[in-house]
Amino acid sequence: MEPILSVSHLQKVYGDRGSHTRALDDLSFDVLPGEFVGVMGASGSGKTTLLNCVSTIDRPSSGTITVDGTDVTALRGKALSRFRRERLGFVFQDCNLLDTLTAFENIALALTILGTPAGEIDRRVRDTAGLLGLERVLEKYPYQLSGGEQQRVAAARAIITAPALVLADEPTGALDSKSAGQLLGQLSQLNREQGATIVMVTHDAFTASWCHRILFIKDGRLWHELRRDGEDRRRFFQDIIGVVSRLGGDAADVF
Amino acid sequence: MFFKLARKNVTRSLKDYSVYFLTLTLGVSLFYVFNSLEGQWAMQMLAKSAHYMVESILIFMNIFSAFVSVVLACLVLYANTFLMKRRKRELGTYFLLGLPAGRVSLLLVLETLLIGLMALAAGLVLGVLLAQGLGLLTIAMFSAYPAGEQFALVLSVKAIGKTVLYFGVIFLVVMILTGVSVSRAKLIDLMQGARKNEEMKERPLWTSVLTFLAGVALLVVAYAMLLIRGMLYIDPLFFLMLALGTLGTLLFFRSLSGFLLRVVKGHKKLYYRGLNMFVLRQFNSRIHTTYLSMTVICLLLLLAIGVTACCVGLNDTIEQNTSSAAPYDVTIQNYSGDTTVADLPARLAESGFDPALLGEQHDFLFYYNDPAVTGIPADDAYAVVLLSDYNALMALQGGQALTGDGLPLVTDQAIVTGYSGMNRYLVAPDSWAEALQVRRQVFCANYRGDKQTAEDALAAACSSPAFSDGLTLSLDTRIGIYTENMGSKILVLFMGLYLGMVFLLTAAAVLALQQLSQAADNVPRYQILSRLGVPERMRDRSVLTQVALSFFLPLALAVVHSIVGMTAANAVISVVGQVDSVRSSLVTAGFLVLIYGAYFLATCFGARRIVKGNG
Repeated sequence: MEPILSVSHLQKVYGDRGSHTRALDDLSFDVLPGEFVGVMGASGSGKTTLLNCVSTIDRPSSGTITVDGTDVTALRGKALSRFRRERLGFVFQDCNLLDTLTAFENIALALTILGTPAGEIDRRVRDTAGLLGLERVLEKYPYQLSGGEQQRVAAARAIITAPALVLADEPTGALDSKSAGQLLGQLSQLNREQGATIVMVTHDAFTASWCHRILFIKDGRLWHELRRDGEDRRRFFQDIIGVVSRLGGDAADVF
Repeated sequence: MFFKLARKNVTRSLKDYSVYFLTLTLGVSLFYVFNSLEGQWAMQMLAKSAHYMVESILIFMNIFSAFVSVVLACLVLYANTFLMKRRKRELGTYFLLGLPAGRVSLLLVLETLLIGLMALAAGLVLGVLLAQGLGLLTIAMFSAYPAGEQFALVLSVKAIGKTVLYFGVIFLVVMILTGVSVSRAKLIDLMQGARKNEEMKERPLWTSVLTFLAGVALLVVAYAMLLIRGMLYIDPLFFLMLALGTLGTLLFFRSLSGFLLRVVKGHKKLYYRGLNMFVLRQFNSRIHTTYLSMTVICLLLLLAIGVTACCVGLNDTIEQNTSSAAPYDVTIQNYSGDTTVADLPARLAESGFDPALLGEQHDFLFYYNDPAVTGIPADDAYAVVLLSDYNALMALQGGQALTGDGLPLVTDQAIVTGYSGMNRYLVAPDSWAEALQVRRQVFCANYRGDKQTAEDALAAACSSPAFSDGLTLSLDTRIGIYTENMGSKILVLFMGLYLGMVFLLTAAAVLALQQLSQAADNVPRYQILSRLGVPERMRDRSVLTQVALSFFLPLALAVVHSIVGMTAANAVISVVGQVDSVRSSLVTAGFLVLIYGAYFLATCFGARRIVKGNG
């Protein structure tokens, strides 16, 4: 199968020649359509840099990132905006929703900037909100929603345009464990039922345990890869904990 | 070290708050320009002729300057509080680093001092240049009156001193208040200052619709009262009308965004197009804090438009009166003409006046209008002028001569310089002279050669007792009338422009500052939009729309107000003369476009830069 995301020989160097930091060092991996991939690593491992590069917010120093056949490192200006709104969906830890818009309008915004006909918008927003169990909060403002509801609204906004790739950066970072579980259950359901391809960055083993495959990054390199292969989630969680405990060298680096 | 920090902060705020600096500079320069009028060419010329207007112009200038300095002080205070709010975090960091409150206050005082000094210097330089421009403008305005006056660079030391004094006091007050507010600030508030967001209270949209309708209804009532009652009677009802109008404006702005939202939401196609939804919601979310300032700005704009337009209109009226009141260089009226018709040129020559200074001239008689002879009621024409006299006078002033047809003819064509009391008279055939009784003798002439020399010589001759011996004479000259009118003209026009410009400047500056701070607040929102893939052009348009809404909504309502107001004002001014509303509206529009437009553009660029710089 053709990969939907292909990262090859990715390098990102910060600073000038005198003193530079290698945030990403010759990183390569593929993500197939319909996969739910987790990216784990300690603070400073380069996982956020990776996500920023994939999501076209940052530009790599060298290497290529191909999403659904498009080399995103070559995109500039208008083409870049177009790519973001048509091919990508985002769920971030914070700064997610526009506080002046209702939940409904936040979800609808992703469609209006695509120029979707007005007649379709109502129906599509309600359908997507239904998938995430948001029917009853659509007319509320973000400040009236719980953290979990806010993240689900963000998730709804991310998938409503049927993007090639949904990118999530610590989506459960600000949630209590119950809301986190609910959100992950629904992301996983979207992945199963809608076939959404999801790449999620997290440092939390519980969150990561919902994924099919986990990439461990250390010092900007791919350090280890773990596949679930139909394993029970509890078992998979134990496996992850095992890898994480070796990842940082000592426990202090893990969390 | 300390001074260096202050200097760096100032340089930074000059870049970030160029609008603030611009406003200070413009305020200083306006203040200088209008206080330097004393040294201006036109005023010096008036003063030379010891004109009584000079005194009153200067007194008015002083009163207005005091008023204007209060307005500008409020603006500076507002802007300063505003900048302080944005710098809360920075101040918190100073405290956190262990800088004592006194030193932080001192730092801010130093900054204010530096900015104040720079604005003062820049404003004075600009002011001197603008004053020159104003001088040229006055010359152009009074082109009818003597050419050849020397025009030199005027530097009014007195105005500079006054400007420095007034603004010094303003900055001193600002410095003290800043110092006090800093020493009383709490660290926790400073550090979390950015996080305190505006509370988003959703009011049901139907209340907006009701409020909107109520506001419009109040405005209609106020308009009706103004148009029906007019502006002449200042009684309790007049103040009721003002109150209704103000309240109507307030309600209008309070509900406008909700009303717009309600209406646009009904049109899904419009609502769901591009960022329309976002822009409208942004506007609506802000309205609860901005409707008050929008109302004030609308009223300030109304004052600016009204004052400028009425003054320009009144000025035109005065100008028209002047040219119709002075068709010749000189007119001497002999009120004793019914008994003694004198040889006025001869008397002038006897009194030492060189006849060569007079060019074309005509001596004629006003007759009493005897209805028995003329067949015209005495109320319709106050005097009779013979056809040959009339045509000679018309030749003298370059007017249209009459043929003998259609006589007697009642006309109000000006035939003397100055006031005759006979502005409606009858032109009759020469043959009627026998039957009519002489009322007054009038001598009209134009100067030859240098007008000012002739004027001075004439004034000297007329003041000699021999000239008016046994007669009641009155002397009017074109220069005399011009000087008189120029006084009122300058008074009216300059006061109007001064006040109008200050109001406009204030309104525009307040709006600009508000919009720029909102742009800074909106940075995270535009960041989200950028991540969602909203193209830059769409984001720019959204920023522009938000700025445009807040600049042009108050302006639109102010224009409607002022149209109604000026219709009523015309009724008052037309007692003096008809206001040329097209020209005055054009001049007003010109000023508006210039100042308001400049602020609008500056704000647009600034807001775009803020949003883009962090996006």
